[in-house]
Amino acid sequence: MQPETSAPTAGGQPGVPAGAADAKLTVDKFADGDIACLRFAGAIDESFEGKKLAGSVKAATLILDLGGVKKISSFGIREWVDFVTAVGKQVQKIVLIECTPKVVDQLNMVANFAGGGRVFSFYAPFRCDYCDSEHRVLLQVDRDHEAIKSMKLPERSCPSCKESMYFDEDGATFFSYLLGQEKFELEPEIVHFLSTKLNYAVSDVARKLRVDKLIEGRATFVRLGGDLDQSFPKDKLAEGLEGTVIFDVGGVGRIEPAGAAQWRGFVQMVSPLVSELFIIGATPPFVEKLCNKDDLGAKAQVLSINLPFQCKTCATSGSQLVDVAEHYDMLKLATAPDLKCVHCKNALTCAASEALMTTLPGLPMPTATAEQRKLIKDLRERKPEKKKVATTVADAAQSQKSSWWLPFAAAFVAVGLAGGAFLGYRAVTAKGATAAGLGKKLSASATARPAWITADVPGGAYCKDMPDQSLACVGVSSTAVAQDDALDEANDAALESIANSVAGKVDDKKWRAALPPIWQSTRQAKLAAFDREPNNTQARRDVRDARRAVARLLSKTSAGAVPAAPSGKYWEEYESGDGKRYLAFVEYTVRGADVARMAKSYAENSTALGAAVVDVFPSLGWRYPNISGGAVVMAVADGRLKSRGITEGYIMLEVRGRAVPNAATFAKIASEEMTQLELVGGTLELKVQSGDTEPRSFQDTIAKKGGDAVPTPNTGGRNTGGNNGGTTGTPNTGNVNVWDRVGGGKGPSRDDPNQ
Amino acid sequence: MQVVILERNKLVARRAARHFASIGATCTLVEDPAALGPALPGATLLCSDAFDGDLVVELLRNRPGLRGLLWTAEPIKRSLRHMQDCPAISHVLARKDFESPPRPWELLMAARRILLGDGAPPFTAYLDWGAQIISLAVSTTADRDRAVANVQEFIARLQAPKRVGEMFGELAHELLMNAMYDAPVDATGHPMYAADRKAEITLSAAQQPTVLLGTDGTKLALQVRDPFGRLQRNHVVGGLLRGLSGGEMDQSHGGAGLGMMVCHNSAAAMFFDVMRGRATEVTAVFELDLNLREFRTSAKSLHFFAS
Repeated sequence: MQPETSAPTAGGQPGVPAGAADAKLTVDKFADGDIACLRFAGAIDESFEGKKLAGSVKAATLILDLGGVKKISSFGIREWVDFVTAVGKQVQKIVLIECTPKVVDQLNMVANFAGGGRVFSFYAPFRCDYCDSEHRVLLQVDRDHEAIKSMKLPERSCPSCKESMYFDEDGATFFSYLLGQEKFELEPEIVHFLSTKLNYAVSDVARKLRVDKLIEGRATFVRLGGDLDQSFPKDKLAEGLEGTVIFDVGGVGRIEPAGAAQWRGFVQMVSPLVSELFIIGATPPFVEKLCNKDDLGAKAQVLSINLPFQCKTCATSGSQLVDVAEHYDMLKLATAPDLKCVHCKNALTCAASEALMTTLPGLPMPTATAEQRKLIKDLRERKPEKKKVATTVADAAQSQKSSWWLPFAAAFVAVGLAGGAFLGYRAVTAKGATAAGLGKKLSASATARPAWITADVPGGAYCKDMPDQSLACVGVSSTAVAQDDALDEANDAALESIANSVAGKVDDKKWRAALPPIWQSTRQAKLAAFDREPNNTQARRDVRDARRAVARLLSKTSAGAVPAAPSGKYWEEYESGDGKRYLAFVEYTVRGADVARMAKSYAENSTALGAAVVDVFPSLGWRYPNISGGAVVMAVADGRLKSRGITEGYIMLEVRGRAVPNAATFAKIASEEMTQLELVGGTLELKVQSGDTEPRSFQDTIAKKGGDAVPTPNTGGRNTGGNNGGTTGTPNTGNVNVWDRVGGGKGPSRDDPNQ
Repeated sequence: MQVVILERNKLVARRAARHFASIGATCTLVEDPAALGPALPGATLLCSDAFDGDLVVELLRNRPGLRGLLWTAEPIKRSLRHMQDCPAISHVLARKDFESPPRPWELLMAARRILLGDGAPPFTAYLDWGAQIISLAVSTTADRDRAVANVQEFIARLQAPKRVGEMFGELAHELLMNAMYDAPVDATGHPMYAADRKAEITLSAAQQPTVLLGTDGTKLALQVRDPFGRLQRNHVVGGLLRGLSGGEMDQSHGGAGLGMMVCHNSAAAMFFDVMRGRATEVTAVFELDLNLREFRTSAKSLHFFAS
């Protein structure tokens, strides 16, 4: 879309009541084939019925034009999110265009506000202090990518007074959502829909005239797209034309006077050369400007036209392709044919202008034969083969994307993965490095860097065993837009590195064999991805969220061994090409005795239900960011748990709905619940985290002690160890094969999806 | 009344201390966090920049009688975490930068209320003497929409940017929705209108919220008061934190649970006064001399008073 500057709105002027500007919401629908557009105007508030609107959308691609949204209340947000969530399940693609600053605010603030959609264009607010007016400028994510990335918009000339007006928002805040969205371009079908059906000016490239030519025997099929202007190559196109010529003009947008003159000249030039000149898909402007008797000459005939229709039942507007021969009797009376809505089957109302309708009676009756019509249909459905036969006036080559980087990227990924194991302490290898590439340092929280900072690679972390046996760990943030975000990130990185160091200090061999493998590969993969692409939003977020989870678990499980406050904090502010950036450092110092206590306590076993469990270790947050506690199974003897399929590495989260914060509590709760169940009978239900799925529920029926036993079968007659968590003896099932009912006696059962 | 101020900038510390001294408090100024220990015995209020919030939280945790007050030149997210971690911190005061103290009127108001136990001040206290104030009666859904339009008209007459009017209109709508649909409960404590926000309702005289809007030409203040007093501290702090941490919706209360974010995005300072079971007063203050770009990047204040 062109950078457009709107006129100041009336409500913005002194003395004009502003409240009047908040009209109730209206939604206009436009549809053409698989593409639909909803145009919103007014306030999205509690009266908006999102799910109901979503139910009325029938399309593969949905365009949401939000250029008229003036207000969104918090109740409106809820309805909106319901709408995009519901409609996202019905369509394949959602594109948001012309988002007002209000909508951009919501995108920045509300998770999932865009649903699965992508923002293509949005308005940036500008203010002119000279004439006290407000304006908005339309930006596109493809064309204005660099400006968005820099979070700065240059001053512009005020449309009202021509003085300079400035971007009236904080760039870091305003562009925060858009910065996380990948750059993309609209698909040609959407560009075509927007530019030709709804008259949006989507892009300069899309508006340039495109000419695709196909030759089939003595027939030549030419497809026009874009604006018909003086670039129309009439001479080149006319060269060698003969036989039947078909022009598909459905993709023609605006018709400029120079383009109209070129077209007329072309028709006159080829009329003596060709046997027929058929025009199909004529748009209303094309019919109005280029289809009167003189324009068509002796050979040109319009076979079909696109007429605008409305369905009042569906409240949808769209164009319908009308066959001129089929409806000739109606058209010659300047009357639109009777058409039905494809969705509701009700009658459509023609919305064509008076000027268009008065042109229709002058169209000649088409003479195309059935064979020609079939050929035209085939050619129309055939995609243009650009490289072989296309003649493009526009820069068609621009649409072909280079893929030169792919082999290099693949090689780079391979190298990155090979080095992944060392990435946790990448800052150590860069010891002494300065924060190169961050730009000019503007300020810092202290005049000089504290001595405890020995490396400053963004996103790094490192620990050092101090002479007094204490452990000092430093976290370095990635370059952040906000100072507090940088400090938070550095804080979490430091705490995560404490957890990692403590894991390395646990002596228990069984613990070392059982626990670290649960998170190590996840940790290495996330750090490797971040190291490969430090600027990749997703990679950075993955590491940041995982560190946050580990830090939270460490605070919760370290029993005060890790200080609540860091021993050092420091930040630096830089002026980078993309605006201000912060780099923060946080240091935690843990006393040697506390480190030793943690290394010992995390490996301490508790036993229950035949399983040895240990406290959940903070680094498990890499793999399970949502857990807040639990007991990790270190070993499991034959018995109740094993027969249910629970094995080493599983994390017990709940016993009969009671949360398990740590190993000792698991043993206590499990014992209490078993005692209770043995008295009254019932189901022992365990909530367990394992694999990469959601936590699952394992159930075991416990018989009332001395009462009617509900058998808990074991392994096909083999005694599984006698003591099933202290319950009464499990009856032997003899020769009955019960494998499929409860699983084998060794290893996990068959119904465990992780196995 | 003994106040301990941990502040590395001496000038800021002295200026802040003067406000506390003006109501009769004794102040101890500390520059180095390590020197805080000896100053704390006997103290009733500990003030510091949110940069030292971790330390303040830790110190307050072990001292039940001590309350905390933070000031910050940064976005409020970090301070909110401290508020969430520590119920003894209910006040965050914005300041322009690290070399400036918080706004004098706000600091004095907070000091009086925290240390002397003063109740909610009259609406005029938020504005300079001579301010123009209007009161809007709201009892029906249509009244609500009229009140929102009146707010925008009032601001348009100030020749303030249209976006400021829209922003405060949204704020008024949000606060009124909470006061009209969330706050009212019946004799058994059950919400009366929360189930259906689309419903047209008419509130009785005893249920009606009141709206006050005023300006002294420099500040713009909006207050919505409901006669129920049910707002919870965790709803304010949690709602803001959720909004600032990515905007996950909380649909447990009918809306998107992001109303607090509208308040935060619209005001330079928010005051929540909850007189439990009697009234909830929410007051938003905006500084008209700031342009919106400056406003977006400036720190915001948050106060929660409960009695």
